[in-house]
Amino acid sequence: MSEVRTLIVDDSSVMRKIVERSLRQAGLDTLVVFEAGSGIDGLELLKVEHVDLILSDINMPSMDGLEFLRQIRAQNLAPGVPVVMITTESSEEHVKQAILAGAQGYIRKPFTPEQVKERVLPLLHAA
Amino acid sequence: MILERSVCCEAESAGRGDGSVNKWQSWASGNKEREQAMALSLRDSVHLVSDPRNLDTSVEEVFHLMLGVNCRRYTGPAEAGEPESVTAMVGFGGLLSGACVFRSGSSAAMKIAAHMTGMEFQEVDDTVKDGIGEICNMLAGAWKGKVPDLAANCGLSIPAVITGRDYNLHVQAPEFKLHHTYKFDDANFEVTIICDGLQ
Repeated sequence: MSEVRTLIVDDSSVMRKIVERSLRQAGLDTLVVFEAGSGIDGLELLKVEHVDLILSDINMPSMDGLEFLRQIRAQNLAPGVPVVMITTESSEEHVKQAILAGAQGYIRKPFTPEQVKERVLPLLHAA
Repeated sequence: MILERSVCCEAESAGRGDGSVNKWQSWASGNKEREQAMALSLRDSVHLVSDPRNLDTSVEEVFHLMLGVNCRRYTGPAEAGEPESVTAMVGFGGLLSGACVFRSGSSAAMKIAAHMTGMEFQEVDDTVKDGIGEICNMLAGAWKGKVPDLAANCGLSIPAVITGRDYNLHVQAPEFKLHHTYKFDDANFEVTIICDGLQ
C-alpha cells in the first residue's frame, strides 16, 4: 500500500500514540501521521494538508468529534476521505449520530489492533 | 461531591490546557438537555447498574485490551499506600449522575502509563496524567456500557486529574458506591463508582 496520510484527532496525546501504534500493527507501515488535539485544530490542519484517512475521538473539549465531522462535511474539507470515530461511547444512539454526521466507521475504546485493522483497512481499500 | 485536600494538590484537565471550568459547564448544560429529552428511568434496574461484577469486568477488559496485562480484584487486607497519589475523575450526567474515580500511587500510575505508551517514566509528568485520565475515561465508558439504558442515556465528562498527597474523596450520602481494589504485577490501584443521583 502506498503512503497513507492519516489525521488522528484526540485530546489525549497518549491515545493519539496508541491509535498510531495500532495502525502500524495493523500493517500500515507507510503511515504518515498528523495529530490534532481538538476538532478545531483538526479543521485547521485539513485546510493545509491532504489526508487519506481521519480517526477522531468524540468526547473532546472545545469542539467534539461529531461537530468536527459535521464541519468537515459542511466545509467540504476532505471529500471522499473515510472518517472513523474512536470513542468510549458505545450505545446504538451514539453510533447512529456518528453515521448521520458522516462517519464510515466506529471503534469503541478499549480496542485491540485487530479491531482497528478490521474497521480501517477495508475503508482504505474501498477509497 | 467534595474533594478534601490537606496538603498541596494540583488539579487539571488531564494536561489538556486551560478552560476546564467552561468545559465542565458546557458538559453539564448538555446533560440538562439530555435529561429533558429522557422519559426513561433506571430506578427499576438499579440492581443491574450497581452490580459489582460490571466494574470488575470493565477493569479487566480495559487493562487487558489497552495494557496487555491481566488485572484482578484484590480483596485482602488494605496495604500501605504511597504518600504521593494520582486520582482521575470522569463525571456521569444524565439518567445517572456521579463519577468514576481512579486512584493509585505514583509508581503504579507510571507503570500503567509505561504499558500504554512503551515509554519509561521517572516522575508523574503530563503524559502520565494524560494516560491515567484516559484509563479512567475508558473505565467509565466500559462500566456504563454494561447496562444498555445507561450507555444510551448517560454522558461522560472530560477527565480531570489530581495529583498530590494526603487527600480524601468524600461523597455525602451517595445513592450507591462501588469501591474496589485491583492488582496487576506488583502494582495496585482503586476504582470507585459513585452514584449520587439516579432517575
